Amino acid sequence: MATGLNLKLNLTRADRLGYVVGGLALIVWALRRPSFARAGAAGVGGWLLYQAYTGRNPMFKPLGIRVNPAPALPEAVETIVVEEAITISRPRTEVYTFLARGENLPALADEAVQITRDLPGEELAWRATRGEALMHFGSLGLRDAPGGRGTIVSVSLEYLPSGGSLGAAISHLMGRSPQRVLADKLRRARSLLETGEVPTTDGQPTGRR
Amino acid sequence: MKAVCWHDKLDVRVERVPDPAILNPRDAIVRVRATAICGSDLHLYGGFVPGMVKGDILGHEFMGEVVEVGDGVKNLNVGDRVVVPFPIACGNCFFCQRELYSLCENSNPNAYMAEKLWGYSPCGIFGYSHLLGGYAGGQAEYARVPFADIGPIKVPDSLSDEQVLFLSDILPTGYMAAENCGIQRGDTVAVWGCGPVGQFAIASAFLLGAERVIAIDRFQERLRLAATALDAETIDYTEDSVLEALKDMTGGRGPDACIDAVGMEAHAHHSMAFAYDRVKQAMMLETDRPVALREAIQGCRSGGTISVAGVYGGMIDKFPAGTLMNRSLTIRTGQTHVQRYMRPLLERIEKGEIDPSFVITHRMALDEAPLAYRLFRDKQDDCIKVVLKP
Repeated sequence: MATGLNLKLNLTRADRLGYVVGGLALIVWALRRPSFARAGAAGVGGWLLYQAYTGRNPMFKPLGIRVNPAPALPEAVETIVVEEAITISRPRTEVYTFLARGENLPALADEAVQITRDLPGEELAWRATRGEALMHFGSLGLRDAPGGRGTIVSVSLEYLPSGGSLGAAISHLMGRSPQRVLADKLRRARSLLETGEVPTTDGQPTGRR
Repeated sequence: MKAVCWHDKLDVRVERVPDPAILNPRDAIVRVRATAICGSDLHLYGGFVPGMVKGDILGHEFMGEVVEVGDGVKNLNVGDRVVVPFPIACGNCFFCQRELYSLCENSNPNAYMAEKLWGYSPCGIFGYSHLLGGYAGGQAEYARVPFADIGPIKVPDSLSDEQVLFLSDILPTGYMAAENCGIQRGDTVAVWGCGPVGQFAIASAFLLGAERVIAIDRFQERLRLAATALDAETIDYTEDSVLEALKDMTGGRGPDACIDAVGMEAHAHHSMAFAYDRVKQAMMLETDRPVALREAIQGCRSGGTISVAGVYGGMIDKFPAGTLMNRSLTIRTGQTHVQRYMRPLLERIEKGEIDPSFVITHRMALDEAPLAYRLFRDKQDDCIKVVLKP
């Protein structure tokens, strides 16, 4: 996809430091007064140290959390990467024109979004800041779907992790992850471009009280 | 208005709720003249489908009169009498353009929920859980119909409400089940489940040229209907072993095509397999009981087709993949692409080739919905199909 990054890490540097501290603490605690129960704690400690060493927590893998330790923007030390693609049954120029309009850009809801690259009909890149601080940056690429099936939009977005991988995992499970926000924005774009409206049930009757 | 609301497993109530309003330009509001309880509503009633929320308005088989249209609806007028298809479909997307309406990519606002369970999302459906959009259904006095310029079909005054109502779901569903069999001259088709969809599948199989149709069920009234109204041969699975009976009846080769019109809550008579599935389903270790599907695969002739019209929701167990592979079987299935079939089937009704109202056994007021659900679920009073009049 767009980044072409081979990302195997899903723990941030802060996560890994925390795993080292936690893992060592468990092992020290177990060694001070050894018992069978504490041997288990030492095992967990060892497992944490191993994850800190590899930079990967296998439990986060199904959630698709990926950490980029060397982002393209120098001001970002490390980022969490989100990618989505969608096929829209409309011509590329029309899709581009729609997505290039501010509110339709598949960016996260940050304070200020600034376009950093604009190749009409092909590519858009942006960076988003809150105050002075960089919050996320992203880019989208457009290409014709084969066989006249419309336009493929591929988005790659990198955001600065607050709360580390665990924070990302929790937001995933709560259904409010940047991945969901991005997927929803692309679905909304497809619906508006193809049907002229966004499917909704907001405001319909129910028997809930 | 009054509406049938789902509250819990085996608990539906008729309640006063606000009237629906136009929410999108391509919406219409329909005053419901007739609505039916579908066999698949019983999966919701029984609590087998995830994503139901207390207060959800049920019902996906309905017809009525247009009372309001949005700015984007040019082909309907207030006063038009229409039948509404159960899949909500935009008509513009990749799938709608290929007439695969039940796979519409733009009608399920909760697509992410369906994606988690099924990989990708199908279309939204009226009154059929939040997984499929959480749309308020048609077992009510009024219903909001999204993409009203694509779905609803106008019906002529010469036909009664009951004659056209089943164009909304079960007639096209039975028809697509038969069409998926790829019937050729001389073919024998076996149909598991003789509820309304099974009856229409039998009728459609004959319309599409089947030589013989074998109907399988345990309820005498359904088997009688299949035999007398449609000329099907019958197997009562509480009396005979289905697989042996089918083998005997088809010259030792098996039926050319098998239709599963049962789905996720299949029954079997005193069988170990049934007990196994019932226990696993109760323990949430599998969501669906595929007794009929397994039997359809096992019983089909080599190189034949299994057409699945019954609804499945999740995972099944002990799937006979070896039978499927070694005997070159084909499985075809899907929620019905109703919009594709409404016009041709309306023409068949107009020509008198089929009168779908023959499956109706009960006509009740909308207020009696809780009783109607109970009767239909327990097959009391020889109940085959209930039509509710708001």
